[in-house]
Amino acid sequence: MTPLASLDIAGRIATLTFQREEARNALSLELLRHLHAQVDVLATRLDVTVCVMTGAGKAFCAGMDLKAVLDDADAAHTLLHTLAELTLKIRALPMVTLAKVNGAAIGGGCGLACVCDIAITHAQSKMGYPEVDLGVCPAVVAPWLVRKIGAGRARRVLLSGGLMTGQQALDIGLVDHCVATAPELDAAAMTIAQRLSQGGPQALRATKALLNQIDGSMDGATVRRGADLSAQIVATHETRAMLRAKLGN
Amino acid sequence: MQGQEHDQPCGFIQSILRANIAIVTIARPEKRNALTPAMLDELLSEVRRLGTVAGAMVLSGEGESFCAGFDLSLCKDDGTVMRALLSGLSHCIRAMREAACPVVVSAHGAAIAGGCAILGGADVVLTTDQALIGYPVLKLGISPAVSAPTLALATGYGAARARLLHTQLISGIDAVRIGLASESLPTRDACEARAIEVANALAAKPRHAVEATKRWMNQIDGSNDQSLMDQALAVSLGLVGKAEERELLAQVWAAAGKGPGVGPGPSSRQAWPETTAHRYPEP
Repeated sequence: MTPLASLDIAGRIATLTFQREEARNALSLELLRHLHAQVDVLATRLDVTVCVMTGAGKAFCAGMDLKAVLDDADAAHTLLHTLAELTLKIRALPMVTLAKVNGAAIGGGCGLACVCDIAITHAQSKMGYPEVDLGVCPAVVAPWLVRKIGAGRARRVLLSGGLMTGQQALDIGLVDHCVATAPELDAAAMTIAQRLSQGGPQALRATKALLNQIDGSMDGATVRRGADLSAQIVATHETRAMLRAKLGN
Repeated sequence: MQGQEHDQPCGFIQSILRANIAIVTIARPEKRNALTPAMLDELLSEVRRLGTVAGAMVLSGEGESFCAGFDLSLCKDDGTVMRALLSGLSHCIRAMREAACPVVVSAHGAAIAGGCAILGGADVVLTTDQALIGYPVLKLGISPAVSAPTLALATGYGAARARLLHTQLISGIDAVRIGLASESLPTRDACEARAIEVANALAAKPRHAVEATKRWMNQIDGSNDQSLMDQALAVSLGLVGKAEERELLAQVWAAAGKGPGVGPGPSSRQAWPETTAHRYPEP
């Protein structure tokens, strides 16, 4: 079976790539499990100081693949908890994580970009959390967004739904770097990754661990409660009807 | 301040439910919407009442300013009024957060002291480019601590610390920059129109998802921490009636020349910058 998440390591820089291009890297349970496996490998690689996370093709990640779990509340619960655990696992990685948002980063996909330590995109990418527009509560990603952009802006972004451009994402702090056009992204991301990789591995690990401690990143209970809440909302008749109408199922 | 003392409508808080948008207006333009205990009491009631029935709520001010803060003229001879103002403000901010629907504040012109504190309770804040926003109350011997928890949620601790300790007012554009407001518009009309537009967009979304998301945000960002809100209020209340406060307020009234004025500034919006500099010199 072709892995849905690939891991390439060159020197001190690793690249973790979502490989579900035909579905714009939407997060199916299978893709999430492959990501878990690759992140488990990364957790043991103390020789790696930077991990670049990106998507194959034109999209970074189109979000949760809810279409497949609409009629199965248990499957939706499992999917959301698998995402929740993945976010916690990525945050706890010993190396600096850099999200290279090469295209659409939507819902859970934007959440994965947000959980990385640093994010870069291009001005035309589409990012955001349209969950409320679909009748869904973005509870898993909310704690990570609060840590990234602050509670006030996170409140507005999550309640307002919709998408924003890469430039707008830069303006509110959702990403840390933004290049003008997509073709410039690879080189800019590599420049940042190479610069980060020159840091002392122990100092990077210690600093990241301290930041995780200070900002409450290791509070897994809140993220898991968020997964419960999202699953409850997805299981409601109202949301299932909306999703069927919007997703064409 | 919980509804016992002010049974009659004060007439300065107007509300209307249009379709499923609640529009609440502070309507005391001749005093730049300076707040009295009765107004805060009524605002609290309206936010609680409409927050459960509307799909979204817009809170705005009539006239040239959103809100110039407390009506300090009421505090000259009666220390209990300041206590009522601070308690009422704290409960209004909490009610905005507890409202099931999202609350959009349209803060044009000026949002000062207690008026600025109201911004902290909102889910979305819109303002105007030239608005004057901030907490120039330390110079009056009053602590803005009551505003600190929600201001810190909006801007982060660094910016909140600077705003609460620094008596300087900032513009609407700078309020967006620090995260206190999400958008700044060139005029009052544009600001109010945008507020209605945002409220309509919020109300058009699936209500159960929006309400669940707001409840979850309240839970994870500390908005439900009543203990912290109580502590913040207690800090502000603890300074009421102290010699420093009485002395500094007396100086303000003496400087006004005609006895007690309303709020920490002149009635003309255009005169704010100069008069603010005069009354609230930089430390």
